[in-house]
Amino acid sequence: MTIVVGFEGSANKIGVGIIQDGKVLSNPRRTYITPPGQGFMPSDTARHHRSCILDVLQEALEEAKIKPQDVDCVAYTKGPGMGAPLLSVAIVARTVAQLWKKPLLGVNHCIGHIEMGRLITGAENPSVLYVSGGNTQVIAYSERCYRIFGETIDIAVGNCLDRFARVLKISNDPSPGYNIEQMAKKGKKFVELPYTVKGMDVSFSGILSYIEDMSHKMLSSGECTPEDLCFSLQETLFSMLVEITERAMAHCGSQEVLIVGGVGCNVRLQEMMGVMCQERGAKLFATDERFCIDNGAMIAQAGWEMFRSGQVTNLQDSWITQRYRTDEVEVTWRD
Amino acid sequence: MVSPMLQFKLCVPFPSSKEAEIAYNSLCPDAEPRKGGVSKTLSVTDNILHVNWKADEARILRVSVSSFLEHLSLVVLTMDRFGPPLDNP
Repeated sequence: MTIVVGFEGSANKIGVGIIQDGKVLSNPRRTYITPPGQGFMPSDTARHHRSCILDVLQEALEEAKIKPQDVDCVAYTKGPGMGAPLLSVAIVARTVAQLWKKPLLGVNHCIGHIEMGRLITGAENPSVLYVSGGNTQVIAYSERCYRIFGETIDIAVGNCLDRFARVLKISNDPSPGYNIEQMAKKGKKFVELPYTVKGMDVSFSGILSYIEDMSHKMLSSGECTPEDLCFSLQETLFSMLVEITERAMAHCGSQEVLIVGGVGCNVRLQEMMGVMCQERGAKLFATDERFCIDNGAMIAQAGWEMFRSGQVTNLQDSWITQRYRTDEVEVTWRD
Repeated sequence: MVSPMLQFKLCVPFPSSKEAEIAYNSLCPDAEPRKGGVSKTLSVTDNILHVNWKADEARILRVSVSSFLEHLSLVVLTMDRFGPPLDNP
């Protein structure tokens, strides 16, 4: 029996999750929500995390009905992410690990998403589409490494959606992406946007500049509605993601797709991916917002796998890092 | 001539050397940015955590010290809430 506590706070969510041998005992989370039209800045986000992390930790322990003595390992996000929030969360993880005399484990955030997706869906060896506010990658496992087959060459797909939401002053509560998804359902007219797939990679910054520019003109002249723009942007971005995912599957001969990351709970993206999978006779795996969006349990789950395979992080090596690629991690827990 | 560097010295007493050591280990791993124009060294003697800063500019020193104090306060709050240190693993 192995119990791992996971701390996540690399972006605007702060979460603490507790995993016991594949079972989620608790997974509380708080989100730092900014006013419409504003993004979240590193220092404000870190302050938010510091103000509630101890409450979230206590909530996690109470809900899981465990005591610090029962914990086997304390896992935290080492990176990638925003420096200030990562550091605040790491400091608490280091302190409780020492107070409780438990080993510490630094986890790659992307690996956390993948392992949580595998645990929840039961997908064995999927091609993974990891889509969030900070990352966009198509990943497949081979030879002890999650290899990146394709990725964004500029901004993440979620960043493109978030920043478009700011232009239209769409609410950030519960998340800009969720609100765009709801508005897109009422869209009627498809506005053509640039489509920028570059081989296995994608680019979103040009699409964002284009839609930022033309939205004011088209909205003020009444040529289209905000709902039409949400719809057109989603259709364009998600088509690109489906295309590169399909290409990765063809390369790997893979018959499974797993979607992880905050954008992964978008039902329209899941639908479009589902159509592609059906045509190929492949299977689609996705999770809901509890596990798609950043959470503590995903760090606990990746930590659980790492800890069981014999890894720990010494305190002096427990520095955080804003850049930490998925393929830098040696996957010691898979064949 | 090289201009003299600004220095700042902080001593933080803890209830015992155990807590001072924990605070040291929690606050030590992350170095200041290499080209940031500020350096910070931590050490522990008995129950006291010592921190020494050297910086080129007061502005940069202030940012580093105030961010350190935020983190120190977070460590102390964590100890208050989830301490005292357990004796046996």
